[in-house]
Amino acid sequence: MDTVENAEDVQSDESEYEEIAHTAAEVLELMEEAWLNEKFAPEILPHKYDIVECLLGQISHVEENLTNVGNDDLRRSLHQMELDRLRYLVSSYLRMRLEKIETYVYFILKQEEERSQKGEENYLNKNELEFAKAYMQSLDQHFTDRLHFWPGNIPTEWKNQLIIPNIHSFVFMKAKNEIEGVMVSHVNEEEEVVDLRTGSQILISYSNVGHFIKTNQSCLI
Amino acid sequence: MSLCYSYTPNYFSIEDILVTQERIPSKFLVNVPKLGKLNPSAEENDIKQGTALDLPFWLADPLSFARHPLISIELPRVYKEAYREILKADATAVDLHKLGLYFYELGLYVKRLDPRREVEAILLHTFRSRFKELMDFADDVVCDPVKQNRLDMFERTLFQKAHFSRMQLKSWLNNSEMRLEAATMVINHKKRKRIDVDDLF
Amino acid sequence: MYGESACSLVKELDRNRGTLPPYNNELIGEVEKEICHLIQQNVADDFKAHEDSNVGAGLDYTATIRTRHAIIQRNLRCLLAYHYNRLRCLRTMRWEFGSILPPDIKVNLSHAESNWFSKYSSMLATYMRSIGDDGGVNLTIDLNPPKALYIEVKCLVDYGQYELSDGSLVLLKESNRYFLPRAECEDLIRQGVFQHIIN
Repeated sequence: MDTVENAEDVQSDESEYEEIAHTAAEVLELMEEAWLNEKFAPEILPHKYDIVECLLGQISHVEENLTNVGNDDLRRSLHQMELDRLRYLVSSYLRMRLEKIETYVYFILKQEEERSQKGEENYLNKNELEFAKAYMQSLDQHFTDRLHFWPGNIPTEWKNQLIIPNIHSFVFMKAKNEIEGVMVSHVNEEEEVVDLRTGSQILISYSNVGHFIKTNQSCLI
Repeated sequence: MSLCYSYTPNYFSIEDILVTQERIPSKFLVNVPKLGKLNPSAEENDIKQGTALDLPFWLADPLSFARHPLISIELPRVYKEAYREILKADATAVDLHKLGLYFYELGLYVKRLDPRREVEAILLHTFRSRFKELMDFADDVVCDPVKQNRLDMFERTLFQKAHFSRMQLKSWLNNSEMRLEAATMVINHKKRKRIDVDDLF
Repeated sequence: MYGESACSLVKELDRNRGTLPPYNNELIGEVEKEICHLIQQNVADDFKAHEDSNVGAGLDYTATIRTRHAIIQRNLRCLLAYHYNRLRCLRTMRWEFGSILPPDIKVNLSHAESNWFSKYSSMLATYMRSIGDDGGVNLTIDLNPPKALYIEVKCLVDYGQYELSDGSLVLLKESNRYFLPRAECEDLIRQGVFQHIIN
């Protein structure tokens, strides 16, 4: 009796899997795209926490199901492998963002402030924003403490010497739909306007195409 | 880590601080009382108008580049016509390291002193002609130190990056598995320890 | 020459890339002294120039003051760059060594740097805990895309008992080889306890 029941249990798990697998494929695709974009874009991009959270939810769901499967079951290994990949994807994405946040912290927080003032959507997630502020504050504190010996007012000009991402670096871009009027600048400072067909790829300065990435019309590869 | 930044000098950049330490020929347009110390070869208290000195770029730049310049600066000799001709003839034959540790980066700073933009052109020409060789050379498994010594600091950085990724690609093609490595700092730390231990004996 | 000590600070970091040299209190002291000296002289000369101009005579100190100012700015830049790049190095160490630094690295830190390190550790932990709604994600693992579930590793030190995530214990001995889940090994490889064996 016992074995039959177990078999049924596994079975129902299996069907649940099918359902997740379907939507999971889409989520995974979105996450992969966000990951590549973030990896290749020199500046920080609007966050994709909705995808991150969705994927994390799926990961813990699969993990939960896996606890019911025997240790030496082949399916367990296969799923475990897949889980490891998903976890890598999410962590790598969040790590890259964190690295950008730390490197460009003054610049990014200034931009976020401007965005808030204009009523625009923030690029950082709430938790990232908190981290960024704490990080900047810790740098400030460290420098200010060090400069206590300074006769008179402690200088603050260095805060204006922002470290800024080099948006002129080159990226490989793929158009997701028809894009008209992409500016291509040449070395001799001439400019040319080109139209891109769906699926076409181009090596171009990020400054010319950054907004197409953010508006989801193209992606980086 | 995983992110690859294109290099741009910034306020905290160690490279940029070292680049701006390079000296360029300057001539004082006014008297500067009390700062005779700037001229190591004289024992006078003041700097007299007309004094010619090689000042580090970090000092020469703010003093020359203002509404009332205190000094006038000129191109370091390696960017002048005689050297430009040599580079034009065959840039790959030149020991760039000897011409200046930071040939390109200092060049980018001083190119504004040449309104005919020939310095800019020669920087580009030099880089282009040497780049192909640099990449070929990064493909070699064993690095030839003689060739490496002829590179300026910027080329060295490029070379190291190219060589590293080339080796990574090779190992990936060979066994399609990336070896998981100890963190760089952990490795360095271990090496240090070994050296310390060696010192004891 | 002015600005020499400040530049030496930066050169010291340049020579020691990838490690953290001892915090150079002595050289920093010299930079501070030079900055203070220049500022005081500028204040004095500025005062004197004002006095002189009231009488309608005297030397023009503008050039001197401007030159000194440029030197002060350079000193400041080097001083801050020294501290900034050391923090960046510490930050990387947090990711590579974990929240506890080896004692021989710790001695190279200034008191303020040790404080910063713990502050960074805790802000990172807070952030990692906040991801998702399942108690957070540890971002300091899963650093490489997985290729295989199990990997072969060689133990480089006598580590002792190690508990795997399923609760079972393994005794890790020097130069023994193990075949373990990749996820379990990653941390120990990065800390230099294991060496990853590839055929």
